[in-house]
Amino acid sequence: MAYSDKVIDHYNNPRNVGQLDKGSAEVGTGLVGAPECGDVMRLQIRVNPETQVIEEAKFKTFGCGSAIASSSLATEWIKGRTVEDALAIKNTDIVKELSLPPVKIHCSVLAEDAIRAAIGDWKKKNGVAEAEPAAVTAQ
Amino acid sequence: MLKVLDSAVPVACWSCSVAHNESILFCPHCSKIQPPPGGDYFSVFGLAPRLDLDLGMLEHEFHRLSRKLHPDRFARALPNEKDWSLADTALLNDAYRTLRDPIRRTGYLLKLQGAEMGEEHSGKDRKDPSRVPADLLEEVFELNMQLEEMRMARKMGQTDPDLQADLTAAKKKFDGLLDAVDQDLRGQWKVWDEGDEAARQSAQKTMVALLDRRRYLSNLVRDVTETLGA
Ligand code: FES
Ligand SMILES: [Zn+2]
Repeated sequence: MAYSDKVIDHYNNPRNVGQLDKGSAEVGTGLVGAPECGDVMRLQIRVNPETQVIEEAKFKTFGCGSAIASSSLATEWIKGRTVEDALAIKNTDIVKELSLPPVKIHCSVLAEDAIRAAIGDWKKKNGVAEAEPAAVTAQ
Repeated sequence: MLKVLDSAVPVACWSCSVAHNESILFCPHCSKIQPPPGGDYFSVFGLAPRLDLDLGMLEHEFHRLSRKLHPDRFARALPNEKDWSLADTALLNDAYRTLRDPIRRTGYLLKLQGAEMGEEHSGKDRKDPSRVPADLLEEVFELNMQLEEMRMARKMGQTDPDLQADLTAAKKKFDGLLDAVDQDLRGQWKVWDEGDEAARQSAQKTMVALLDRRRYLSNLVRDVTETLGA
């Protein structure tokens, strides 16, 4: 399968590979897997407690090139955003940016799951209630 | 891609016009070759979908049909028949390769039943917690980290006996987990083959989850084996 240039770029020069201190209250960790292929991804964020801005994001992915590119892109995108803004990122945005083919969509889903899991972990640690689904306010 | 046609619809043989079930390679009436049938892989072998297959019989049937489809037998046949013999052979090979492997067979049958699995499934029921073996993720991730460490050390020309021992132990453990999954799968085969509709539904759910788990485990076992053996 032919990878897009953007995938190859992120694959060869992944941004923000690494890890953050899991024990820190400011850090949220998301560890997720794709049952479709058995690949795993860890994404971590460090959130400024005052502003709720994600100041640092790191990832480590054991998986295919598209999953590595998706998580690399995800860390770039969430850095500098507030937690709530980061939750607005959808896997379809990643698919578009990286021109992923249909068989690689699940790799982008993995990255979206990882963002959500990391933010969820941070919220739990800091006693922030999960945002209610939009449907509730729409009623 | 899977295409499941209704194999119960009878089709008339192109040669003798006698109606037959469309999922066969040769007309039961005049024995002429038929165009590639539209049924599932099981029906190529004259089987109803089932999981516990007699592999000896499957192989026997495969060889028998392969011989009947051999190009030599179509040297003087009509151009259509020649084309069909090639297409039928390709279908027979795909069917055999899929059905003789227990894991591929299980996955294939689950897909026939409408389960969404594998790479073309885009994570739609990811939110179903039964599909995410959380207990496994942590371990899989840690082991991957160790594997990477070992590969790096290797590259620098070092060996770390402790790490090596850890990985060997981990491989043993994951081999065991893989065996356990396979045993569970076989148990579910029986349930599916012999059960009523409700039992089948529940067996299908269980098998989808088992195959998910198995994918993590087999990736890992493959990587550990590769790294240890390098
Ligand atoms: S193939 Fe599994 S994450 Fe890409
Ligand atoms: Zn006939």
